[in-house]
Amino acid sequence: MPSVRTDYPQDGLSEPAVVCEDLEVSYGEKRAVEGVSFTVERGEVFGLLGPNGAGKTSVVRALTTILDPSAGSARVGGHSLTDPDAVRSVIGVLPESNGYPGSVTAVDYLMYFGRLYGLTKEAAGERAASLLSEVGLASVGRQMIKTFSRGMRQRLGIARSLVNRPQVLFLDEPTLGLDPAGREDVLAQLDTIASNDGTSVVLCSHILEDVERVCDRIAILNKGKIVSTGTVASVTSQVSSNSLVAVAVDPSDTDRAIAALAEADGFAGRVTSIPGVIEVVNSHQSGAINGLLAVLTQADVSILAVQPHNSRLSDAFISLTREEGPSNDG
Amino acid sequence: MMAEARREASTTRPWAIIAAHELRGLWLSAKGLTVLLGYTVLLSLMTYLAATSSELNLLDARESIGVIVQIAIGLGTLAALVVSADAISGERERDTLESLLLTPVPRRDLVIGKMIAASSMWLAGTVVALPYVAAMAQGPAITADAVLVLLTVGPLVGAALTALGMAFSAVSMSNRVSLAGAIVALLVLAAPSQLPAISSQGALAAILVTVNPVSAGLKLASNVLVAQQSWSSQWTYLISPLVAATALTVLAVRMSGRVRLGGSR
Repeated sequence: MPSVRTDYPQDGLSEPAVVCEDLEVSYGEKRAVEGVSFTVERGEVFGLLGPNGAGKTSVVRALTTILDPSAGSARVGGHSLTDPDAVRSVIGVLPESNGYPGSVTAVDYLMYFGRLYGLTKEAAGERAASLLSEVGLASVGRQMIKTFSRGMRQRLGIARSLVNRPQVLFLDEPTLGLDPAGREDVLAQLDTIASNDGTSVVLCSHILEDVERVCDRIAILNKGKIVSTGTVASVTSQVSSNSLVAVAVDPSDTDRAIAALAEADGFAGRVTSIPGVIEVVNSHQSGAINGLLAVLTQADVSILAVQPHNSRLSDAFISLTREEGPSNDG
Repeated sequence: MMAEARREASTTRPWAIIAAHELRGLWLSAKGLTVLLGYTVLLSLMTYLAATSSELNLLDARESIGVIVQIAIGLGTLAALVVSADAISGERERDTLESLLLTPVPRRDLVIGKMIAASSMWLAGTVVALPYVAAMAQGPAITADAVLVLLTVGPLVGAALTALGMAFSAVSMSNRVSLAGAIVALLVLAAPSQLPAISSQGALAAILVTVNPVSAGLKLASNVLVAQQSWSSQWTYLISPLVAATALTVLAVRMSGRVRLGGSR
């Protein structure tokens, strides 16, 4: 996982790339996002997670000036959202629903956007060629976009979002619908952008493996509110404190083991469909396995195997979005 | 670093970049050429009908040229209206608007650039109509009058309705709504000129025709080309097209502030 950069010799700025405070977005009477606060450091890859309708896209659209927040404030790339032109000049965005003109070549498409960001024709041409090379589309730069596969279009979208050399890059579901190879290409690209260019990345994704792989920190949104934020490890640990441990005991000792766990503090066990295998819920923060072994040994239970259940981000995600969990800024 | 930034910085206005891009998109793709082909086929058909009617003495030569000029203005305006009404709402439906709105280009420049490109439709229509007018007109005097009507009324009415289509497109969340609204507006404006009883009788009717930019433009064409009235007596019919072109262009530019991706803000 890339480390968070803290030195910024190029511009000397110390303010985080994104500072979002109590952001609220409403669609008429419906409040889609409420009290959302987080920061994204410079050079950091920040994941914004949440189930469908959680408000991820609304947050991104508010931070990218497409939607006006109904309350709260935010600064992106050192500029307040009240100065949208300044914000737009320092951000790059790959929107979730991103259309492309079919009858335009990739080079012309990128040159057009380069010129909209104020580049001369020559500079826009050079930038287009360089970006196409970076995203691996140099050989098809003169082809019409309508001939591109979904993965190629996604990479072209990333190239377009980098036309202005943004300080903050917002990617909304960049790997959605891509095959494994295409997904790998996009993630590798993302790694490069953050580690080489020092660009901060805000990544919205449903694909938790991608998030675990590339994000330094994450925030999980549910029903328009942040239910957890921190590093992947810290968010994951929120559910691991109640994680399962599978214990295989002599089948004849099963009842004794269940009874011993019921009496012990912090453990609860239940019989599974496999003879002799007990699932144990432990609420101990540390030393859980040792404590469990001690309880079972004291009850004279023959322990055959212990299999800790490794908590993953997906467990935390499901747990936190099924029922709103505590917030933990880490 | 600063020197490199200066070398890279363009002084071209964003509306000019957008207009150039849209013009390429319109004329190098099938869209503009298809609309122009339809315009040409219709104009050819109407010219043939007018010419044969003239030969059969159903229409005299001046009436024929008057009809052709009016049709050329009407069709050219309709083509520009359709293109402009699609300009922003079409981008919204094709999911290409968000990328544009994310650039630091002022929305005003976006609208102006697209309006210039859409205006090329009636300009192209006028160019296509010139040979038809020249072929139908008999004698240099009527040819000059017909070309002059085409080049004065056409741009004014065309600019007015291009701007109207753009205003609809800027605020409509659906392309269908934008196109339907713009075409209904054109029909409402064009209807009085198609009702001879209203257009020729009474002071109120005369005022209605004069203040309506479409009917005023077509009335001028009819009066100059068919009734052989002098330009000096008919110039007042240019006022409402001129006012409408100016006012609607200002309206469309002001509506640029309401260009949104969709949904509430």
